[in-house]
Amino acid sequence: MTEARPDTQAEQQERGSGNGEPMVVIEKLSKQFGKLRAIDTLNMTINAGETYGLIGPNGSGKTTLIRMMVGLLRPSGGTIRIMGQRMPSAKVSPHLGYMTQLSALYLDLTARENMQFFCNIYGLRGKEQSRRIQEMLERVELADRIDDVVGKYSGGMKQRLSLACSLVHSPRLALLDEPTVGVDPELRRSFWDYFAQLNKEGVTIIVSTHHLDEASRCTRLGLMRSGLLLAQDTPQELLRQSGKDNMEDAFLHFASRQEVLK
Amino acid sequence: MSFARIMALASRIIHQVLRDRRTLALIFLVPLAVMSVLYLVLTSTSSVHTLALVRPTGTNSDLVNTLIDKLLPSKDKLKTIDITASQVDATLKNGNVDAAIIFPADFAQQVFTGQHPAVQIKLEGSDPNVASAMSDVANGLTHQLGVALAALKTQLGAGGQGGQTPPAINATIPFTVSDPQYLHGGAQYTFNDSIAPVFIGIFSFFFVFLLTSVAFLRERSQGTIERVMVSPLTRAELVIGYIFGFALFALVQSLLILLFVVFALRVHYSGNLALVFLVSALLTVGSVNLGIFLSTFAQNEFQIIQFIPLVFGVQVFLSGVFWPVAQLPDWLRPISYILPLTYANDALRGVMLKSDGIGDIAGQLTALLVFALAMVVLSALTMRRQIA
Repeated sequence: MTEARPDTQAEQQERGSGNGEPMVVIEKLSKQFGKLRAIDTLNMTINAGETYGLIGPNGSGKTTLIRMMVGLLRPSGGTIRIMGQRMPSAKVSPHLGYMTQLSALYLDLTARENMQFFCNIYGLRGKEQSRRIQEMLERVELADRIDDVVGKYSGGMKQRLSLACSLVHSPRLALLDEPTVGVDPELRRSFWDYFAQLNKEGVTIIVSTHHLDEASRCTRLGLMRSGLLLAQDTPQELLRQSGKDNMEDAFLHFASRQEVLK
Repeated sequence: MSFARIMALASRIIHQVLRDRRTLALIFLVPLAVMSVLYLVLTSTSSVHTLALVRPTGTNSDLVNTLIDKLLPSKDKLKTIDITASQVDATLKNGNVDAAIIFPADFAQQVFTGQHPAVQIKLEGSDPNVASAMSDVANGLTHQLGVALAALKTQLGAGGQGGQTPPAINATIPFTVSDPQYLHGGAQYTFNDSIAPVFIGIFSFFFVFLLTSVAFLRERSQGTIERVMVSPLTRAELVIGYIFGFALFALVQSLLILLFVVFALRVHYSGNLALVFLVSALLTVGSVNLGIFLSTFAQNEFQIIQFIPLVFGVQVFLSGVFWPVAQLPDWLRPISYILPLTYANDALRGVMLKSDGIGDIAGQLTALLVFALAMVVLSALTMRRQIA
């Protein structure tokens, strides 16, 4: 009863940006936690094959937004559509890859066993499974530690394995919540190179970060603060509009404007 | 519903448990160790009590003493020693005897002259169980003596005269009580036999609950539950996967306990293994889901441990492990009837001691099924809270 994996070009065309609908369409989304308005009437579109960076300080609503996109949280208002389906959707879930801020690994299992489990629940089996596991572990430079129990890994290694687990089933849309926290600069660069390569293969990536220096590696950015989307555009365009020469100043410029996209 | 995904989850759980040696020891060795200790305590503890007799010494006392000796149970059931009236308190106090029957010195004389002598029973009394048993023994003995003496007096003709010497004694009890017959079990059945079956239920319920709630708590605190919920694995598949994974260990554990108590401890067993497994499996479904449900309300492993007295303390005392449910006070009994172990204990005892078939324990099986389904509903309802 392996899940069909509609990865053909035709389907990609039909479901992705091919028919004119972007990968993710968010309309008038809001989320209320008691008195706290975590997300406030947010509109956002994310195109197939791009890396969309959610940029903002802690508590700006990035994680809440991602959790609503993957269906873990119910919106208080508004809609999220992914691949043309209203979320949460069982049709979409096989194509999502999700990386949380916690490493979300079974510490009493080895790296291989962790990855085998996630492959199995996505229906990826047999030789293809072994090939993908090997490929992903080489990508995050853990191939030599494949049979070590994850509990013995350092924080950075767990983070790398967590990324590998999120992408091992070749998702069409990867939602990565602060994937580069605790990863050293060299490996961080290789992560971003990999994201660019995945984009070329048609994979859409949504990545949250508060490293403003990573922002320039994104196709487009959404600047967030207090649950509001302050601005959304390419890094170059945001710099141009703000008249600043670095993203930090640009962010502060938009944050002080008090003008939001609604 | 994908069987492959369920099995993926079940096999992950099996891997995790197999990797953890301590947990394996907890599941498979601890029950055997506990059963062995219990067995030793229950079988080696002497249940032969000692009775002290202060015998009559006056005229015609030989007759009475001979009767007493005839009435006393055999030495392997009751030890007796003869003491004097002045030694009673000291002997009871130093623990050499558990009870004393004190006959007045002129007991026989009084009886045969138509008076009513007073016989005093004195109990050590610090252990209510022993005191109660000894009270029964002493009362039984004196009553039998009374009956025998009454018969003897009739035999001697109307009322014995004080000075008359009674005839040569052929005094016997005018009826015999044959050895008890048993509907179930037999004289060789001990307390162990009735307690061993219930431990199969208790251990599988306890360890499965503990392992599931900790495993689920970890899914939550490590964040893996979020990854799993985002994947195509559904909530139903998650619950079933957990049940399959832990049911394997519960069944192997039940088998191991059963083999151990039957072949190593020589506990009597006349049942159907499949029914023992069925009870154990139903309990496991309930216990996995109770674990998932309660883990929602715990933030860490210590808080899981805090549930144990609530979940098990109550069940062990009220589910008929040591005291039959029917003997509990009226107001406690309704609580017993909502506890799953009450039904599991009943069913396991029925199967193992009375060779009950599936029809005989259908009621208990239904109750266990209802409990299991109720727990499935509760765990499904709280699953959303697990991720939020």
